[in-house]
Amino acid sequence: MQLVTTPSTIGGGSLIVDNLSVRYGNVQALTDATFRVDEGEVVAVIGPNGAGKSSLFKAVCGLVSATGSVSLAGAHCHHHRDRMNAAYIPQQSDIDLDFPITVQQLVLAGRRRFLPAWRRPRPADRDAVADAMERTGITGLGARPIRALSGGQLQRALLARAIAQEADVFLLDEAMSGVDAPGTAHLLDLFHELAKAGSTLLVSTHDLALARRSFDRCLAINGGVVGDGRPADVLQGGVLDATFGSGSGAIRASLN
Amino acid sequence: MDFLLDPYQSEFMRNAAMAAVLVGILAPTVGVWITLRRLSYLGDAMAHGTLAGVAGAFILGVSVTLGALAAGLVMGALIAVLSSRRRLGEDSVIGVVETIFFAVGVILISRNDKKGVELGHYLFGQLTTVNRNDLIVNGVLAFIALFTITVLFRDLLASTFDPIHARQVGVRVGAIRYLIMAMVSVTVVVSLQTVGLLMSVAMLVTPASAARLVTNRVGTMTIVGIGIGVSSALGGLTVSYHLRSAPGATIALLSAAILLVTFAVTAPRRRHIDHDNAESASASVPH
Repeated sequence: MQLVTTPSTIGGGSLIVDNLSVRYGNVQALTDATFRVDEGEVVAVIGPNGAGKSSLFKAVCGLVSATGSVSLAGAHCHHHRDRMNAAYIPQQSDIDLDFPITVQQLVLAGRRRFLPAWRRPRPADRDAVADAMERTGITGLGARPIRALSGGQLQRALLARAIAQEADVFLLDEAMSGVDAPGTAHLLDLFHELAKAGSTLLVSTHDLALARRSFDRCLAINGGVVGDGRPADVLQGGVLDATFGSGSGAIRASLN
Repeated sequence: MDFLLDPYQSEFMRNAAMAAVLVGILAPTVGVWITLRRLSYLGDAMAHGTLAGVAGAFILGVSVTLGALAAGLVMGALIAVLSSRRRLGEDSVIGVVETIFFAVGVILISRNDKKGVELGHYLFGQLTTVNRNDLIVNGVLAFIALFTITVLFRDLLASTFDPIHARQVGVRVGAIRYLIMAMVSVTVVVSLQTVGLLMSVAMLVTPASAARLVTNRVGTMTIVGIGIGVSSALGGLTVSYHLRSAPGATIALLSAAILLVTFAVTAPRRRHIDHDNAESASASVPH
């Protein structure tokens, strides 16, 4: 069962994924994923571990080999550079928290797209970093090492890096993992603020209650897209079975 | 004061001191990236494997510096190519390539007994043989390496911290990795006469590791690492003069002693900082 939303306009943050497949050696991680997300949407991406959520996000950003096509803002992505308008934000477990990098340095890394390696950051780059930190509510944390951040603050810093990159589409891999309830609430507010400003966000999560409560749309993945639509429609019956298999009964009970 | 100045009355000791300072500056600067990438084993392997290039250059009668550089670069390329196969773990590849190059070096030495003594100088260092030409060559190599690291600092930082994001925004992550291997090779070459092949990894890893204990910033870590590297190099050279001990080993031991003292001195502070970090993360700015 696949519920496909009807696109209305093609904005800066629109994402069209057509028959996207990812294979690692003998393992088929994702098969023929096809969907479209419009500017300003905040989409929860659900699925069990190994379902292909991270592979989907990385394939959209051109970080793994994939077949099929990706279009951003209505333009087909031919080269790696075309995909820089989409930013992949990794899960916290992929970040080395002991690495000696400050929040300011982390956010500045997003400007590399516009800044050759050998060139010192220009005032415009510094302004973009300050603006990104302000929008994500981490102004004042610039000098801190990432070790000194809470889980929610780290996610904000990673989002600020994506904003400094001037991405329109944000792909957040398990952004709420390891974040406490107040931090999650702040992050959700921030997602919706960014969406109002024209950004598009896809957020993978294992928290299905949160997906139903706080997102406008839900994309269910299990080796491919098995459901797409309003959370109330996706998080029930056949789609849950197709997404989580034998575990869907317990999930359904926990959602009720 | 005499203890400090007496050793440097002769020109060869002054040359030795300048060579040691060069290593004290270059090795920790490269070592910072080796330790942050957890590639200390790579540094050790490249130091040992360079033996093939040194021995080969001796036998062919060409520049030992060129031989060592060539061996290091070929090793780096071979490790990069073999590691690209997922099924071969990188540590295994490094171990295999190190063994090949070290074994070739040993075989070349064993077939040319008369060269044994001179090659021993490169294995364990022979500071007193450093002449002005050596200083110029090593100085130029060190300058190129330091200049490259300074210019590419942000790319090194980004690709070491988060290679996936770095690649996305246009950093050539693979090229940076190969560049670091080349830097290790240059460091081993510059260290040949000072601490020797076998202990050059000590200068790569120890000062940078000690520096990591006292700071959370890569720039500061580099500066502190250089301070420890130069202090170890000059201090070790001075002590070795008075104790008549091997300079390379003395330098390596002094840098290790600094690391251990730093570890002991900073232990309470690290606990305090971890506590503060946990506290500050929960204050003022939203979670």
